[in-house]
Amino acid sequence: MKVLVIEDNLELLQDIKSFLEEEGNICEIAPTYKSAMGKIGFFPYDILVVDITLPDGNGLDIIREVKKENIDIGIIIISAKNSVGDKIHGLEIGADDYLTKPFYLAELNARIKALYRRKAYQGSREIYFNEIKIKPDSYEIFINDKPMNLTKKEFDIIHFFVVNKHRLLTKEAIAEHLWGDHIEMADSYKFIYTHLANLRKKIGELGGKNYIQSIYSVGYKFTDQEWT
Amino acid sequence: MDLIRKTNTSYLIFLAFLMPIMIGADYFLIQYLFNSEVEETLLHEEERIQYHLAKDGDLPISNYLHEVTPIDKGFELNPKFKDTLFFEAYTDKNIPYRLYSFSSSIDQKPVKITLRHMLPEIEELIWFFFIATFAILLLLVIGLYLIHQEIYRSTWHPFFKNLSMLKQYDFSKMESTQLNSSGIREFEEINQVIITLMEQVRKDFQNLKEFNENISHEIQTPLAIIRNKVVHLLESKNLNKNELRQVESIYQETNKLSKIGKALTLISRIENQEFKRLDRVDVSTLVENILNNMEEIINFKNLDISTELQPMTIECDHILADILFTNLINNAIQHNKEGGWIKIRLSTDTFEITNCGDVSEVKPDKLFDRFQKGSSSKDSLGLGLAINQKICEIYEFTLNYESKEEIHTFSLRFKA
Repeated sequence: MKVLVIEDNLELLQDIKSFLEEEGNICEIAPTYKSAMGKIGFFPYDILVVDITLPDGNGLDIIREVKKENIDIGIIIISAKNSVGDKIHGLEIGADDYLTKPFYLAELNARIKALYRRKAYQGSREIYFNEIKIKPDSYEIFINDKPMNLTKKEFDIIHFFVVNKHRLLTKEAIAEHLWGDHIEMADSYKFIYTHLANLRKKIGELGGKNYIQSIYSVGYKFTDQEWT
Repeated sequence: MDLIRKTNTSYLIFLAFLMPIMIGADYFLIQYLFNSEVEETLLHEEERIQYHLAKDGDLPISNYLHEVTPIDKGFELNPKFKDTLFFEAYTDKNIPYRLYSFSSSIDQKPVKITLRHMLPEIEELIWFFFIATFAILLLLVIGLYLIHQEIYRSTWHPFFKNLSMLKQYDFSKMESTQLNSSGIREFEEINQVIITLMEQVRKDFQNLKEFNENISHEIQTPLAIIRNKVVHLLESKNLNKNELRQVESIYQETNKLSKIGKALTLISRIENQEFKRLDRVDVSTLVENILNNMEEIINFKNLDISTELQPMTIECDHILADILFTNLINNAIQHNKEGGWIKIRLSTDTFEITNCGDVSEVKPDKLFDRFQKGSSSKDSLGLGLAINQKICEIYEFTLNYESKEEIHTFSLRFKA
């Protein structure tokens, strides 16, 4: 998938770019309104990641322009403002999602993939990881075609893991993905720890492999590759 | 005591002292005047009598004549006044008289002539003056009271209007306030001072708020970068244990900083009244949704939850309602014991959440301050309740905390 990231902070831009490229995407970057408009005119992108405050313009104007051209393109707003007004306004003029800075790159990745799936396959596409099959629309997971019995949060954990496979997911990123970012969750890390143990067991019972690896004490990785 | 009562009381006390003094002074003064008038009349009468005696040699007719007694020759009589009582048969009373005796001679015979003049009765005088003075003073009091009431109403009116304006003044709102002009110099001066002070405080408040907003907003992008880099570092396999611990700790502190920034941004946005929507929020459904979202954590901690929810709605921004109730419920979960319990009760005007948990180390009155937290949760920022307090402030809800040993209750009363 082809992604254009419009963001005026070059460091952040580079981070996002390299993260998305490691995921196998083609990622272009634009640090200004002007360069962004130029690139959108030339190449067909699947996904646009737009910062609202740009040095020479407003990200919302880019969205308006794009929607005027009726380009069928997925749009995710990233903003440090965390303003409800901006969010509602952004979604009204045609953006698909809104992320507040600072966000976890894994979260951005998950949102981009979900959006892409909705756009390109009308959401009907299943996600596979070896013997694991995920049906995002019905919240079902199958291991070797046997359905897993899961709570909503357990589904969310595995889904989040699989779309960020081979990636380090910190406990904080997982907690924020599960519960949102405005609450303080001291117990959530313990909870994640226990639930991952349960999930390992559940996957194992259905003949699945143990893909969940602890990475030091900061987080986890869902991978079939060896990590030492 | 308010101003009008204070001044009126002072007046009354002053009059209470003044009245006996005035009555006493009046009494003595009048008595003195009367006496001297009587004496003057008697002296005048003596002159007239002496004149007639010298001219005609006989005693003229006098209303004041009391008695004439012969005296020895050569006896020197100094003229003198004297008070006495005479029994008057016609009134059956003793009547006070002032006597004046002097010597003269009738037909070459020395005589003592005594004149008399009735004096007014003392008791009557006292009563008369008492009543007269009292009536005058009473009129004075009523007059003063009315005048003062009027002054109070007209002169102090702008003062009280300004006072009530100042009471309602809210620094978090942007506008500066205009005080009413009264045309009285002292009031104008104090208005000037107050306006200057308020303007200064308002500016400081504004600066502080802007600083707060900017700092919590501007740190977010750098924090995002730091965090991404640190995750990147953690993914590298070349770190030794010691380096790893340090990177980990950088990561955690960065996260904390970012959460603080977000929470403070939220607080300033609530203060800035950015949440203007008034949604009808169905509280019982909201609470049930939050409990569902937390179900796994609740089960994980083995908490027993009992709810008693009456359907009711409040008017507020649904995002803030969500934050408010999530914070309260989350708080009850976080500060609970393994295998503990939570009771939630929602009536038409109150939401009450009770949980068991360790005795809080934070004093109840500090609980809603920023960065106050029980030691049990080092990951907690201690901003949740401060946010709740802010939310309650703008909707005029009251949030109270009570604890009895290991039982903690938060009760939220909605605006009546």
